Amino acid sequence: MKACKKCRGLLVQALYGELDSKDKTFFEDHLARCTACAAESRAMTETLKTMNRKARPEPGQEFWEGYWDRLSRRMEKEDAAMETSSPSARKRLGRIFGLSPHWVFQAAAAFVLVVLGVFIGRTIFPPHQTPVAVAQPTAPLGPGESDPILRARDYIDRSKPVLLALVNYDPASEDSYALDLPLQKQISQDLVTRAGALKSDLKDPAQRRLRELITDLETVLLQIANLEAGNDLEAVELVKQGVQSGGLLLKINLSEMSGELSGTGRQPAPVKSPSQKTKI
Amino acid sequence: MTEEKELIDRLSRGDMAAFRELVETYKKKMYYFALDMVGNPADAEDVSQEVFLKAFRSFKTFKRDAKLSSWLYRIAYNASIDHLRRRSLAPQAVEDTVLDALSGGFSESPSSQNPAQAAENSLLQARIEKALEKVSSQERSVFLLRHYNELMLNEIAETMQISIGSVKSYLFRCIRKLQKELDIPRTSAPREVNNESL
Repeated sequence: MKACKKCRGLLVQALYGELDSKDKTFFEDHLARCTACAAESRAMTETLKTMNRKARPEPGQEFWEGYWDRLSRRMEKEDAAMETSSPSARKRLGRIFGLSPHWVFQAAAAFVLVVLGVFIGRTIFPPHQTPVAVAQPTAPLGPGESDPILRARDYIDRSKPVLLALVNYDPASEDSYALDLPLQKQISQDLVTRAGALKSDLKDPAQRRLRELITDLETVLLQIANLEAGNDLEAVELVKQGVQSGGLLLKINLSEMSGELSGTGRQPAPVKSPSQKTKI
Repeated sequence: MTEEKELIDRLSRGDMAAFRELVETYKKKMYYFALDMVGNPADAEDVSQEVFLKAFRSFKTFKRDAKLSSWLYRIAYNASIDHLRRRSLAPQAVEDTVLDALSGGFSESPSSQNPAQAAENSLLQARIEKALEKVSSQERSVFLLRHYNELMLNEIAETMQISIGSVKSYLFRCIRKLQKELDIPRTSAPREVNNESL
C-alpha cells in the first residue's frame, strides 16, 4: 500500500518522462506487480493521448510575418495615448501659449464676453422666479442618512445576502426557482441606484478601500439586476464566477474585520514597490 | 544560456533590436499559451502582445537569476487570467468564444477530411474543450504549461511561483478530472493524491 502511494506520487513525472533512473526502476517494477497502479497509469496515458488530439488552429505564415508590425503599431499607439493623457506641464503651457492657432484666442475671448454678458444681464434683470419642484433623490436614502460609513455598512449588509444566495446556489441540487431571482434583482436594482451617491460621499482617503468595495459590488449588482427574467442559469453561473474570482465576499469580510465599517479603520497601507514576486 | 544573458543585458539597456529578438523568439510560445488559456485567436493575439508590452515596459523588475521564458510565461499567465476575469464580466464575449471554438477559430475543416471525420473531430474538440473547462484555472494552467508548452515541472513552479509539490498535485488532479470528463475507464479506483503524499 505504501509502495502504491509512492508510485502514484511519481505518476505525473513518469507520464512526462521526468523520473530519474532510480525512481524509474522503482516505478516500472511496481507497475509490473500492481494491477491497480498499472491500470491507473494506462488510463492516464490514454487521457494524455486524447488530449494530444486537441486542435490548435495555425494562424498562418502571414499572421506571423505581420506580428511584429502589429505589435509595434500598438506600442506606438499606446505610447501616444499615454502622452496625450498626461502631458507634462511644459507641453501644456507650450500648447496654450505657443502652439495654439490664433483663432483659439479669439474663440476664448468671445466665450468670456458671452459669459460676462449673461452675468451682467442676470444681475440687472433677474429672471422671473418660478416655483421649482423639489428634486427627488435618485433613490431613498437608507439608515444613517448623513454618515457615509453607516450607509456603506447598510449597503454591504444588504448586498451580502444577495451575493451569498447566488454563490451558494447549486443548480445541480436545487430547484431553479429556489434562488428567487426576481427578489434578488429588485434588491440589486435598488442598491445600484444608491451606489453613485454613496461613492461620492466616501471622499476621505482612508475610505478608499471601502469606496472600491462599493464599486465592485455595484458592478456585480448591476449584472444581477440585468439578468434575464426566466432564471437564466448560464448567466447566473457567470455572475457567480465573477463574484468568486473577484473575491468579493472575502473583501467584505476583511472590511468588517478591519473596522472600516465602524469608522475605526486603519489608514490605507502604503503602496508596495513593484517586485518580481508580486503580480506583473 | 550565454545568448540569453546577452539578450537580457541588451533588454535592460532598452535596446529595441533586442526587444524584437525577444518577440521573434517567443511570439509563437506566448500566442499558443494564450490561445490555450483564453480560447480564441483574436484574444490570444491581444494577450500575447500584452505580454511583450508588459515585458518591455517593466523589464527592470526582471531578476537576473530567473529564466526569461519562465518570466514571460508568468506574465502570460497573469494576462490571461486578467483577460478571462474581464470577459466573465461581459457574458456576450463568452458566447463569442464558444462560437469561435466550435468553428475552430482561423482554421477551416481540412479538405482531406470527409464529412463524417470532420464531424467526429468537431465532437472530439468540443469534448476536449468542455473537459478543460471543468478543471480549476490553476490545474488548467499547469496542465497547459506542461502538456502543450513542454515546460518542466520545476519551470512551471517558477512560472507560477508555487512549489513543485503543488505543481504535481495540480497536474495529477487535472489529468484525473480530464480522464473522468472524457470517459476514459480505469479498472480500479485509487485514492486521491494530495500535496503530502507527493
